[in-house]
Amino acid sequence: MIYKAILADDEKELRTYLKTILSEIWPELIICGEAKNGKETLELVESKRPQIAFLDIRMPGLSGMEVAKKIAGLCRIVFVTAFDQYAVETFEKEAVDYLLKPVSKERLIQTVQRLKNQLNSSIEPPARLTEVVEQVLSKLSGRGGADFLRWIKTQNKDSIRLIPVEEADYFKAEDKYTLVVTKEGESLIKKSIKELAQELDPTQFWQIHRATIVNVSKIDKVSRSLTGRGILRLKDRPELLTVSRNYLHLFKQM
Amino acid sequence: MDTHYITPRNVLKDLVYTIIVSTLIAALLTFTGITTKSFIINLVVSQSFGISIFSIIIFLLWIFKPEKIVSVAFIVMIGIASGTLIGLQIGSFVLQQFFSIILKQQEISSLRAYILAITFGIILSYFFYSKSRLRVTEEEIQQERIKRLSSEKEALEANLRLLQAQIEPHFLFNTLSNVLSLIDTDPTSGKSMLVDLIHYLRTSLSRTFPDPITLDQEMDIIKAYLNIQRIRMGERLRFKIELPDAVRQHPFPPMLLQPLVENAVKHGLEPKMEGGEIMIKAIEQGDLIRIEVMDTGFGFSSCYKAGVGIGNVKERIKLLYGEKGRFIIEENKPNGVRAIIEVPKQ
Repeated sequence: MIYKAILADDEKELRTYLKTILSEIWPELIICGEAKNGKETLELVESKRPQIAFLDIRMPGLSGMEVAKKIAGLCRIVFVTAFDQYAVETFEKEAVDYLLKPVSKERLIQTVQRLKNQLNSSIEPPARLTEVVEQVLSKLSGRGGADFLRWIKTQNKDSIRLIPVEEADYFKAEDKYTLVVTKEGESLIKKSIKELAQELDPTQFWQIHRATIVNVSKIDKVSRSLTGRGILRLKDRPELLTVSRNYLHLFKQM
Repeated sequence: MDTHYITPRNVLKDLVYTIIVSTLIAALLTFTGITTKSFIINLVVSQSFGISIFSIIIFLLWIFKPEKIVSVAFIVMIGIASGTLIGLQIGSFVLQQFFSIILKQQEISSLRAYILAITFGIILSYFFYSKSRLRVTEEEIQQERIKRLSSEKEALEANLRLLQAQIEPHFLFNTLSNVLSLIDTDPTSGKSMLVDLIHYLRTSLSRTFPDPITLDQEMDIIKAYLNIQRIRMGERLRFKIELPDAVRQHPFPPMLLQPLVENAVKHGLEPKMEGGEIMIKAIEQGDLIRIEVMDTGFGFSSCYKAGVGIGNVKERIKLLYGEKGRFIIEENKPNGVRAIIEVPKQ
């Protein structure tokens, strides 16, 4: 039986290389298509119905892992990666086929042998692959931390400036908008303090008042006023902020 | 006198000193024959002077919390002036009440003069002594601090640079795969890619690189990096570098600009299917040099996680140039990111 395969990698030279050594090792294999991003890969699988897909993990648009999730039942997948430690560890543990770039001939011979065995004994493509892919994907997205707000866009004359959130000293509610105060100055953003409170990393930004969120790393000290509220002094701003009684517990251990 | 010392413990300690000093004054007056009064009289008068002066000074320090040494001196003088008046009243009262001794007006004024003179002398000499000692230690502390800060600053700079010089394994292995392939298909390109990679690696790994390098040299490394990326990404990456001759030889810290270019490729163009353009431009602007790195890539989406690299650049500019350096990130029009570095001309 003659088998068909597709190659997916965003780097042309690397597709060429894989094609060349594949043709030496497995001359009967037909490379029926090449894709340079996730979307093209999906289309190719749909139109050419290959038995094998060599998928680069990092591709623009849909990544190789995301493509794999969609085509896992349709064909056998061999992942190709330059360096994705966690993915490789998981593949190794779960006996998923993968190749490391630069692809070595010896390794490819082994992989081809395995593929041939599987295809000839007509074992169904493992359904478990989807699970493994899910596992890697969730780990990869989880590792970058939850998606907290990282940049604040502020209007600056005719350009939109980006301020890293960690540079904000504090945020102060101004009607429906919010005032961002940094060492350099203040600017207004079109977001309510309520929305901000949900988007900011709660370990780095504390709400200390109905109308104020403060950057914890910018706090100099907090003292108690005679009325029982807290007076918060910042490291590089002269003004004092009020900590209302409901939020004073945040500073209990300090 | 330290102005922040008003704690019960310190006040008690100083009260004890005052009593001891007053006793010594009384002894001095009696046994040197300056006055002809008995020790008891001298002691009572001396103690009432001392304690009155002491209480008034402490009270005033506590109320006003003076910062300047002049204000402290002023308070001490007020304390002495009013303290002697009150002290004298208390002294005569105690002598009359408990020892049935009534002092004559003349005796009172001579006693008052002696005690005042000695008190003044002691306080003043203590004052100047502690002041001079304080100045010496303050100077030492200051020097120590400067030394520590500058070495900390250097260490921090080195650390930040080291972090930035880290080579991305993906980049390395993908480049090597390309070279491996090009050896067969296009040996000339393969060779030049390898040359660029070597140049890039040597700079990134070198810790003995002359510091600072020139802007021209930094652009060289960036060119090497972009050349490699162009082979990898094909027509998905286009780039342009504009470096006027006037700024070519300007000194520039190594690895400061490069992270911005790498960010532009990694987060801007690589994830974008159709790719885009990178434009690097240096211009003289008064006594500043302004360098812009623009890309037409993905822009700042929620998945943009360049916190470390960008934070590093910002930190280094602050360390190297203080308030004179600037680092700004803007949205590029119509899409992508524009990073701007401004450093003072040297």
